[in-house]
Amino acid sequence: MNPICTLLRAGAFVLLVALTGAADAAPERIFERDSYAQIRASHAGRALVVHLWGMTCGPCLVELPQWGALLRKRSELPLVLIQVDPSAPAARTQRLAAAGLTRAENWSAASEFDEFLRASIDPAWPGDMPRTLLISPSGEVKTIRGPARLAEVERWLDGVGAAH
Amino acid sequence: MSISERIAATVGALLLAGSALAQPVPAAPASAAMHHEGHRAAACASPALACANAASAVFDARGALWLAWAAAGSVSVARSTDAGLTFGPASVVGSPGVALDAGSDARPQIVVDARGRIVVAYSAFKDQAWNAQVLVATSTDGGASFSAPRSLSRDAASQRFPVLALRSDGRLLAMWIDKRTAAAARRKGVPHAGAALASAWSDDGGESFSAERVVQDHSCECCRLAVAFDAQRHPVVLYRSLFADGERDHALLTIAEEGEAQAPARVAEDHWVIDGCPHHGPSLAVSPDGTLHAAWFTLGRSRQGLFQARSTDGGATFTSPQRVGDAAQQPGRPAVYAQGRAVWLVWKEFDGQRIFIKERRSADAGQTWSADRVLAATANSADHPQLIGDGRRVYLSWLTRDEGYRLMPLEAP
Repeated sequence: MNPICTLLRAGAFVLLVALTGAADAAPERIFERDSYAQIRASHAGRALVVHLWGMTCGPCLVELPQWGALLRKRSELPLVLIQVDPSAPAARTQRLAAAGLTRAENWSAASEFDEFLRASIDPAWPGDMPRTLLISPSGEVKTIRGPARLAEVERWLDGVGAAH
Repeated sequence: MSISERIAATVGALLLAGSALAQPVPAAPASAAMHHEGHRAAACASPALACANAASAVFDARGALWLAWAAAGSVSVARSTDAGLTFGPASVVGSPGVALDAGSDARPQIVVDARGRIVVAYSAFKDQAWNAQVLVATSTDGGASFSAPRSLSRDAASQRFPVLALRSDGRLLAMWIDKRTAAAARRKGVPHAGAALASAWSDDGGESFSAERVVQDHSCECCRLAVAFDAQRHPVVLYRSLFADGERDHALLTIAEEGEAQAPARVAEDHWVIDGCPHHGPSLAVSPDGTLHAAWFTLGRSRQGLFQARSTDGGATFTSPQRVGDAAQQPGRPAVYAQGRAVWLVWKEFDGQRIFIKERRSADAGQTWSADRVLAATANSADHPQLIGDGRRVYLSWLTRDEGYRLMPLEAP
């Protein structure tokens, strides 16, 4: 690889990290087998929306900007994003930024999203994408298979008293 | 979009424009890879088989086993002459890095023809829109060296999930899932559901492919294809179709003459409506008498789980779907294999702690089946099971993180 090109790429990435880090961007976290338990624990007692998406899942990429729109509408939206496909970190960052999701809590798997990772979220999940989990303050989980209808998500958020 | 998000999007696009996604063959951009690796101490980062998450096996005409695997962004090939116990030196065929498409239902493909020519195919993402291309590499020196991977298609749209199928007359068929019809519809501003099945043939051991064409539109975008040849040596493909009502159920397509596909037949009315990616493709085998054996996964309105059915009229109609496996243990990832009157079906199950490969077999071309039994198990990550044959025996080919690669002979039914 051309060294100047490498330097430019490294520079661009540092710039990206610096710029997004300087604002209220959430750094990507690596999703492992104990990560979902951490997510649940850190949001315990409050409403939580967990959205599962994948870089190689076309319908997921179509849906993603809707979540950005909802985050703009409800700045207190308790949203956690989990990306499941092996993919380029920079491409993920770009996707999230383009969807307006830079400041959402953002996790990505470092390995194949296999039975063990899926079971850490839902033992009955065979791997279809996208999925959204609506988790009430008392811990009840409602699963939406396929793209979510945001009106339904908003009704649920209002129903559990989530802040706007 | 906030100012910081706009800046991030712009810089991200800049970065991507110069990244390895535009050049699929070189390794991943050092900056991105290093940043990511810093967070994943436990990740396996070698192209060696020990780090592989997907492996495909095939026997050559002399009975040697050839394995192609994806590990840490590279596709490699090695040969075993002791049924998978040990492998010779590995050849790295390509290293697309993070652009390698090797998750879920995607995996490298390998065939070895009667003249010993080795053909490997895999897909890698090629641009910032996350379009992929099917890359093909060949070896004519017994795997000592491989050609530089080259794109099978020159179409700008996305091509993923290649399958290589070697016909008994030596012709090599490649089939894959292609987004060119979807891209054309988008350019015209008209709605389009799903992707398409495309095919091409090679008559020179994978050096070149011709007669590239879309054979059927409106397939699921993200489920592997199952390709076999019927008793007349016509290609038959079992795939998750996207029906007009948004149902992602399975269909069987026979390509009677080159490119002249018959109307696909729906295998079962599962009625799985999902505007998403099941990431779960089927398996297909053909007995010498022409009986087709299909196995597939569904979460449809009519049935949920793993199912099998057979057809004795060339795929026009299938028997009523029969449930496979323990519905409480996520049965899936089927592989079916036919030899003479014998048929084997294996699949994956997971009880929350361990992953199992289970098997059932038939001695009468699929009319009756044995009880299910566990063939193998592991307590960590595991690839999908595969069935291969050397003309005499049939074997389970399975890769697991803890135990590594294993090849297990199956009992005759």
